[in-house]
Amino acid sequence: MDYRDTPEEAEFRATLREWLSATIPAGWDKIEDELEAVRLRKDWHRTLYRAGYVGMSWPVEYGGRGLSPVYDAILNEESGNLGAPPLPSVGYIGRAIFMYASEEQKRRFLPPLLSGEASWCQGFSEPEAGSDLASLRTAARLDGDHYVVNGQKMWTSGGQYADWCLLLARTDPDVPKHKGISAFLVSMTEPGVTVRPIVIASGEAETAEVFWDDVRIPVEQRLGAPGEGWRIAMTTVAYERGPADIGFIANYRRTLRKVEGLAAERGLLEKEEVRKALARAYVRGEVLRLNCMEQLSMRVSGRAPGPEGSIAKLLWADAEQSLQHLAMDILGADEMTGVAAGWLSSYFTSRPVSVYGGSAQIQKNIIARMLDMPR
Amino acid sequence: MLALLSDEQQMLKEVAAQIAGSAGPSNPSDLNTVDRAAAWRSLAQAGLLALRTRDDDGRPVGSGVEVAVVAEALGAGLVPVPYLGSAVLATELLALAGAHDEAEALSEGDARTTVLLDRHLSALAVLPGEQVYAWDADGAADALALTAGPDGHQVVRVSLDTGFVPATGADLTRTLLRSDGPIDEARLTPVGRPLSAEALLRWEALALTVISADIVGVMRAAVARAVAYTKERVQYGVLIGSFQAVQHLCAEAYVQAEASASATNYAAWAVDELDVAEALMAARTAKTQAALVAREVTETVMQVFGGIGQTYEHIAHVHTRRALTDRQVLGDEGVQLPRIADVRLTGE
Ligand SMILES: Cc1cc2nc3c(=O)[nH]c(=O)nc-3n(C[C@H](O)[C@H](O)[C@H](O)COP(=O)(O)OP(=O)(O)OC[C@H]3O[C@@H](n4cnc5c(N)ncnc54)[C@H](O)[C@@H]3O)c2cc1C
Repeated sequence: MDYRDTPEEAEFRATLREWLSATIPAGWDKIEDELEAVRLRKDWHRTLYRAGYVGMSWPVEYGGRGLSPVYDAILNEESGNLGAPPLPSVGYIGRAIFMYASEEQKRRFLPPLLSGEASWCQGFSEPEAGSDLASLRTAARLDGDHYVVNGQKMWTSGGQYADWCLLLARTDPDVPKHKGISAFLVSMTEPGVTVRPIVIASGEAETAEVFWDDVRIPVEQRLGAPGEGWRIAMTTVAYERGPADIGFIANYRRTLRKVEGLAAERGLLEKEEVRKALARAYVRGEVLRLNCMEQLSMRVSGRAPGPEGSIAKLLWADAEQSLQHLAMDILGADEMTGVAAGWLSSYFTSRPVSVYGGSAQIQKNIIARMLDMPR
Repeated sequence: MLALLSDEQQMLKEVAAQIAGSAGPSNPSDLNTVDRAAAWRSLAQAGLLALRTRDDDGRPVGSGVEVAVVAEALGAGLVPVPYLGSAVLATELLALAGAHDEAEALSEGDARTTVLLDRHLSALAVLPGEQVYAWDADGAADALALTAGPDGHQVVRVSLDTGFVPATGADLTRTLLRSDGPIDEARLTPVGRPLSAEALLRWEALALTVISADIVGVMRAAVARAVAYTKERVQYGVLIGSFQAVQHLCAEAYVQAEASASATNYAAWAVDELDVAEALMAARTAKTQAALVAREVTETVMQVFGGIGQTYEHIAHVHTRRALTDRQVLGDEGVQLPRIADVRLTGE
C-alpha cells in the first residue's frame, strides 16, 4: 500500500495542474443558458481530449493512452481542486462498448466517443421498468438484416443532445425476462426516434422521454450476442455507480469550495457549527474519494467493478445531498426568496442522485445480497 | 384533559378540507388554472376569514385551534390563497392594535392585506429599514409592518403598488414580493394604537403556530400521496408498498409528521388559553419540530415516487418548496432553539 504518487504520476499531476490553470475558461460556471452550458461541456470535452486527458486508461488503438486508471483519478482530483468544468462521462457507456463490442464496432464507435465528436445517452429505463429494469418492454424484432424497434424509453438523460444511444430492447419475448434482452448502438437521428425533454424539479431539462417507432437498426449495430443485453446493462450500471467514471469527485470538490466561499462571504467562518459542518462535508468527500481509490486499485489489479460499487453510490448520494443541505443551511431564506436561485436548482439536482443508476433502496438490497443475508 | 378536536372543530376541519380540495393543485400546471378567487370567496362565506376578528366582548371569534385547523387543511391542499398572510397574520395584528374595522374589512374577502418580513423572512419587519419581503401577498393591496416608538411598536401600512417587484421564490403556491430598496417614512401609514410587548409576543405565538400547522398539512398530505402511490406502483411484479425498505421510508416520514402535529395542536390551543410566555414556548417548540423534519419528510416523499417524483410536472416538489419556505418564515429551528434555550437555561 502506498497512497503517494509514483514519480511519473507526480510529474503528470504537476503538468496537468499547470495546463488546467492556463486552460480553464474564465467564468464558465456563470453560464445560465442551458444550450450554452451544453456547448461549453462539449467544447471542454474536446479541449481535454486534444490535450490527451480523455480516456487515458483506454488502449491506444481505440483513441486512449494505455495508462493506468489512476491517471483518471488524478484528473478528477485536480479538476475539482482547480474548479474546472465537469469532466465528460465517457466511462460507463464506453466501457460497456469496449467490453462487448466486436473489433469493428470498437474501431467505429470508441474514437469519436472519446474525442467528444459523438455524444451518447443510455436508453434503459421505461415508464414501467425502473428499478425492475428487466421487465422492459421495448421490442426489437429481427427483419432480414435489420432489427425494427418499437417502444417507449423514459429517463434517457441527454437524449435531446445525444448523437448515439446505447439501447436495451427485448428480442425474445419467450424466454425468462433477463434472458430475452439485447443491446444496440443506435443513432438518435434515425427516422422514428422522437425525443421529448423531461424537466426535473430544478427547472432544468436534465433528462428525456424517447419514443421508438419502427426504428430500423442494422444487425451489425447489435452490441454483444442476442440475449446478452442484461449482462451489458449490469456492466454499464456498475461503472456508472463508480464515481471516478463520471467525474463526481471533481464536482464534489468544486462545490465544496463554493460552499466554503459562501460561508466566508456571509461572515460565518467564526461560527463553530458552520466550521464543523464544513469539515464534516470535507470528510464525506475524502471518505468517498478514498473508497473510490480502493475500487480503482482493484480495477488496476484487473478486477472488474462488482457490487461494491453500491457502497460508492450510497456514499456519493449522501455526500452530494448533505452538501446541498449544508449550502441551504448557510443560505437560509436567500435560497427560498430567489436571491440564491441557482442553489435551489442545485439542491433539486442533488435529489435524483439517490434515484438514478439504481435507487438507494436498490443499492441496499444489493449490499444485503452481497452480505448473503437470508431472502 | 382532552388533546383532541371537539365535534365542532372536527366539522370545521371537514369544511376547510372541502374548500381546500376544490382549490388545491394535483400537479404544478394546475396552479395556473385553479380558481383562487372562488376559493377565497368560499373561505369568506364560511366565515373562515373572520376567525381572528374580535366579537363584542373583544375575544377572537375563532380560537387558535380553529385557525390552525384551517391552516393545516389549506397546507394539505397546497392551496394558493393568502390565508396565513391576510386572514391570520395581518388580521390578528390589526385586531391587537384595536383597528377592528380594518380587521373586519379583511374578513369579508374583498380586500387583502399581508405582512412585511425582514430580509431573512425571520421576523415581522421593523421600518424604516433594509430591504423587506411581502410574503403571501397574492391579491394584497398593502402590507403591515411595525415602527418602533416610545410607547411600544406601532403597526403601519405600506402600499404594495410601488416599490415592490415579484420575487421568484421557491414556493410556487404563494406570491412573494421584494422591496426594491429600503422603505422610507413617507410611505408608512400608522394603523390603530401602539402594541404592548405582550401583544406582539401573542401575535408571534399565533403566527408561529399557524405556519407550523401549514407545514403539518403539507407533510401529512405529501406522506399520504406517497403511501397511496406505493399501493399502485408495481415493480418486480408486486406493489412497491410491499417492500420493507419502502414501508420504513413511509413509516419514518409519517412518525415525524405526526410528531409535528402533536406539538402544533398544543401550541394552537395555547395561543388563547395560556399566559403569553407559555404560549410562545409551545409555539417555538412546534415550529422547531416542524422545521427540523420538513425537509426530510418531503424529500422522502420524492424518493418514494422514484424518478417521477423528481420531475417538475409532478406535485411532489410543490410540497417540498412550500415546506422549505415555511420553515424560514418567522425563523427555522436555528432561530427557535436558542430562544428556547434562553428560557430553559437562563430563565429569560
Ligand atoms: C434525473 C434522472 C436521470 C436518469 N437518467 C437515466 C438514464 O440516462 N438512462 C436510464 O436508462 N435511466 C435513467 N434514469 C432512470 C432511473 O434509473 C430510474 O428512475 C430508477 O431506476 C428508479 O426507477 P423508477 O423511477 O421507475 O422508480 P420505481 O422503481 O418505481 O421506484 C419507486 C420507489 O420504490 C423503491 N423500490 C423499487 N423497487 C424496490 C425494491 N425491490 N426494494 C426496495 N425499494 C424498491 C425505489 O427505491 C423508489 O423509492 C434517470 C432517472 C432520473 C430521475
